[in-house]
Amino acid sequence: MIQIRNLKKRFRNNTVLDGIDLDINEGDVVGIIGPSGTGKSTLLRCINLLETPEEGEITVDGTAYSLSAHDRRQTLELRRQTGMVFQRFNLFERKTALENVMEGLVTVQKMPKEEARMLAAGELERVGMTEWSGHYPKHLSGGQQQRVAIARALAMKPKLLLLDEPTSALDPELVGEVLETIKDIASQGFTMMLVSHEMNFVRKVATRVIFLDGGKIVEDGTPREVFDNPRSQRAKDFFAKMHLLKQPEYTI
Amino acid sequence: MQLFAETNLFDFGLVGRQLPELLKYLPITLELAVLSMMIGLAVGLLLAVIRIKRIPVLRQIAAFYISIIRGTPAIVQLYIAYFGIPMLLKYMNLHFGTDFDISAFPGFACAVFAMGFNESAYNAETIRAALSSVDRGQIEAASAVGMTYPQALRRIILPEAMTVALPGLGNSFIGLIKGTSLAFTCAVVEMTAQGKILGGRNYRYFEVYVSLAIIYWAVTIIVERLLKFVEKRLELPEQIDKNAEASEEVKDKAKAYAREAETRYDTNKKPEKAFSQ
Repeated sequence: MIQIRNLKKRFRNNTVLDGIDLDINEGDVVGIIGPSGTGKSTLLRCINLLETPEEGEITVDGTAYSLSAHDRRQTLELRRQTGMVFQRFNLFERKTALENVMEGLVTVQKMPKEEARMLAAGELERVGMTEWSGHYPKHLSGGQQQRVAIARALAMKPKLLLLDEPTSALDPELVGEVLETIKDIASQGFTMMLVSHEMNFVRKVATRVIFLDGGKIVEDGTPREVFDNPRSQRAKDFFAKMHLLKQPEYTI
Repeated sequence: MQLFAETNLFDFGLVGRQLPELLKYLPITLELAVLSMMIGLAVGLLLAVIRIKRIPVLRQIAAFYISIIRGTPAIVQLYIAYFGIPMLLKYMNLHFGTDFDISAFPGFACAVFAMGFNESAYNAETIRAALSSVDRGQIEAASAVGMTYPQALRRIILPEAMTVALPGLGNSFIGLIKGTSLAFTCAVVEMTAQGKILGGRNYRYFEVYVSLAIIYWAVTIIVERLLKFVEKRLELPEQIDKNAEASEEVKDKAKAYAREAETRYDTNKKPEKAFSQ
């Protein structure tokens, strides 16, 4: 159970998050959608403190952390409970796929190397990258890099996995493999927050959808409720625009 | 050639004959260079991190320090170290009752200090540029898995920055090797100082400087080669065979592990979580 309370973030005088309250149950896959610049990515980045909000609190399994405190110990502890998958993969360039996954286990969790190697290999297997273990990021396609990044985040056994537009930086033909990987891990019971512009995907994989606008949660419900029956005008307009674009439905 | 032989203006043979005499002092030259470089790298890294992380107060001090060091000639710094360090020790003896033997303080140490700190100011800029060339995303990724900044620096940032900094640092190391010839100001007899002594014996200064030039040049060529080799070693391979790192055994264990992990997560799974569609 993860509870976020009164999360506020400003950049100068531009309020990006305006008092977000959110309860996430274990196993929830929360899809976060909304127009550009409404703070979807900022929300994720505030949760693991890559950005420091002005106000806010998060409770992970009963332990409360202040998000605005600038406390180094708390920051590290909170980050160790969350995993993040970035839009631009951000793999460690000078490490092989396997070493990328091992890195956090060895450096942060102080796991013996051999054990970390086995565990990392297991995570790479889970995302179907075993045969690329010895390759460096520059040898891998965007989709493959993102799958390694997912394995890297999963290896740390996060209580909450944050996915920040994991397919936006990919060539269209590579989107499918990453979405399939995400769908796979979603079905394994990980608690996830997923920011994505792949509406069809969010609809299929999320157990709950949140529509952000102007730093506030405008819609919150099951995919069916939010996509088919939005209550707010803002969400209706947004979906109308999306339908105009007539996105081809992705296939797996 | 004939002319030289007749007039005895230039003694070719002497250039070669005194090489061994000079080479005896090559280790001192190299020691000076290597030790100064070690100080220069350590302090330079510290300065670079202070400037990159914008640590208040320390950052202003670092900028001031770099400005002074870069704004004064190395030979002046060597003299200041040579006269200043004994004065400092004397002051400490008088005020804190310590018992340093000032006359025994080696000029060699003064020279290493002065050249090391001189080097650090220049290295700081090279290292800073290299550190900031590392993609921010990787640093964020390191933070996101829970690494502290020192951990990220050691494990992720430095290995990558090193490949960028190496040519620049190599360049300054080569400069430093030749710069050690200034160490005579601290009464250190290294190769050039020995050359002057040899020249003083027979007034064949020109020959001895030619010998010195040959040695320095040769050393520089060797160091260049070494740097090239290291650069090559740091390059990531162009191609890798599939399955390069995963032996059959590892793969089997990985599969077993993945299966086990899946069942473990399955038990957490709530039944109503099944996917629609």
